[in-house]
Amino acid sequence: MLVLTRKSGEKITIGDDVVVKVLEIRGSQVKIGIEAPRGVAVHRSEIYDRIQEENLLAAGVEATDFEAAEELWTPRKNMKEETQ
Amino acid sequence: MDPEEKHEGRDTVKIETARFGIVEVPNEKIIAMPHGLLGFQDKKRFCIFQHKEGSPFFWYQSLDDPALAFVITNPWLFKPDYHVDPASAVNAMGWEGEPDRLPLECHVIVTIPRGMPEKMTANLIGPIVLHTERREAVQIVLPDDTTYSHKYPLAKQAAA
Repeated sequence: MLVLTRKSGEKITIGDDVVVKVLEIRGSQVKIGIEAPRGVAVHRSEIYDRIQEENLLAAGVEATDFEAAEELWTPRKNMKEETQ
Repeated sequence: MDPEEKHEGRDTVKIETARFGIVEVPNEKIIAMPHGLLGFQDKKRFCIFQHKEGSPFFWYQSLDDPALAFVITNPWLFKPDYHVDPASAVNAMGWEGEPDRLPLECHVIVTIPRGMPEKMTANLIGPIVLHTERREAVQIVLPDDTTYSHKYPLAKQAAA
C-alpha cells in the first residue's frame, strides 16, 4: 500500500480524473472530498459489506415464506397513499 | 454429480434447480454477470423466471448453483419515484452508448426473513441493472448520499 502524508487542503490525484482532497482534520476524523467522473463508484467500504450481507440473507428464501410474502404484497395497491 | 448439463447444438442450459425441478434455459435467456453478486462473485450466470402471472415477484435463478435463487421485483411497483443513475453500471460493464439511452432494466432483490414474511424488505441500494439486448447484468451500489434503504419494508400494513 502506498502511504502518503498530506496536510489539510492538500490533494492526491489518482489516474487522470480522480482527485482526493483532505478538507478538514478534526481530532480523529478526517473530512475528505473526492472528485471523480460520473460512473466511477465511490463508497465508504462498509456499504459493500452491508449489501453483501443483505444478498446472503436474501439468498435463503423458504418456499412457505415466499408464498406468504406474495399474499402480503397483494393488498399494497390500496395502502400506498396511507403510508407515504 | 454435475446437475448442469450443456446440450451442444440445442443452445440451452439444463439445470436441476432446488425450486423448479429440471429447467432448460435457452442461451438467449441467460444473463451474464461477469462480476457476480456481492457475496456470490463466482456465480456468473442467471436467468429470470416469473413466479406466476400477476405476481410482483420474479426469481433470479443462478445457473451455476441450482440451489441459489433470489426473489426480485420491480422497484417502481412500490416506489414510483425510485431513481438509479445507470452510469456506474455502464462504467463497470463497459457498455457502449449513452447511459440514459441504453435498453436497461432495473430489479431489486427482496429479502424474506425465515418465518417472518411480513418483515420482507427490498434492497434499494444494491439494484441489479440488466442490459436487455446484451443480456448482461451487474449489481451496483448507489452513492453514499442516497436516501434509499437497503431494507425498504414491503409489507408495512402487517406491522400496523
